[in-house]
Amino acid sequence: MSWAAHDLEPYAFQKHMGLRVAFVPLLIGSYAPDMMTKWFVYGIHIGPWDLKAHDPAQFHRGWPGFGFTHSLIYGVALGLIIWKVSGSRLWGVSFIIGQAAHAITDTGDTVGTMLLFPWTFHFHLGAWAYAGQTGRTTDAAAYFSGLGSMWDLVWLVYGLICWRVLTSSYFDNVIYRADGFWPWLNRWVPRGALMTLYRAAFFYGSSRWIAWTIWAHVIHHYPYDLSWGGPHWVHAAHP
Amino acid sequence: MRLQRLRDWAPTRPDLRVFGGYLLAAAVYIAIGVSVTDFLLSFWVGVAYVVVAAWAVPTLIRRVL
Repeated sequence: MSWAAHDLEPYAFQKHMGLRVAFVPLLIGSYAPDMMTKWFVYGIHIGPWDLKAHDPAQFHRGWPGFGFTHSLIYGVALGLIIWKVSGSRLWGVSFIIGQAAHAITDTGDTVGTMLLFPWTFHFHLGAWAYAGQTGRTTDAAAYFSGLGSMWDLVWLVYGLICWRVLTSSYFDNVIYRADGFWPWLNRWVPRGALMTLYRAAFFYGSSRWIAWTIWAHVIHHYPYDLSWGGPHWVHAAHP
Repeated sequence: MRLQRLRDWAPTRPDLRVFGGYLLAAAVYIAIGVSVTDFLLSFWVGVAYVVVAAWAVPTLIRRVL
């Protein structure tokens, strides 16, 4: 489980791959594994109904469950479909890279991911606690108190060091040129707004990282525990 | 040589002006988010916010002035 890395990682890949990737499918790929499942992990209320997975970690990362969304084969399958439907190899490959980055990043927690599904072994480093089953608020508090948030910080700082990837000249010379999606959208949306849209995930990831850190440690005083597998004050799920 | 590299890497004044605008937008976003954490949960709310705060409002102000 990562809270900001999936927003920030695509900018690092973009910096190193330049015209060889398209940013939009890269970002969609980075979000793809959680798109269908996250709401059911934390649960939602619809009128009188509470919808929530009975075993969130199993549902999110396991088999039986939706754990296959965090496997490499899932990214390749969707990437091939995108390539076939859109006719763009660039879109297909960019999606695969983004999705793989997500699946590999999530091996950092205590549940890990079935990277080589259909082999159901969970690859996991166990660096930070998976606490999705505790609900969104406790999960946020735990995540922003452990090594997971430090891993996010690595991507945030790296993004700031590579700040040129966020400039208008980079947008014009690389992002806009690499992918026909941007000129197509530019027919209705002005260039300035396009550039803001391109920067939005970085803005969202970095601002959210700061906001949750303030919320967890300035407003609520949850203790930091940067030990391996921490924070140990929360019950961590395991495969 | 190193100084030249640092100069090439360092942002220019227009770059810093843009960055300052985003910093201001981020400060407001963070203040709202810390008070109402639901605001932080949706990616689409974040996108809508940044488009309004970092593009629409500055564009409107430039047109008015």
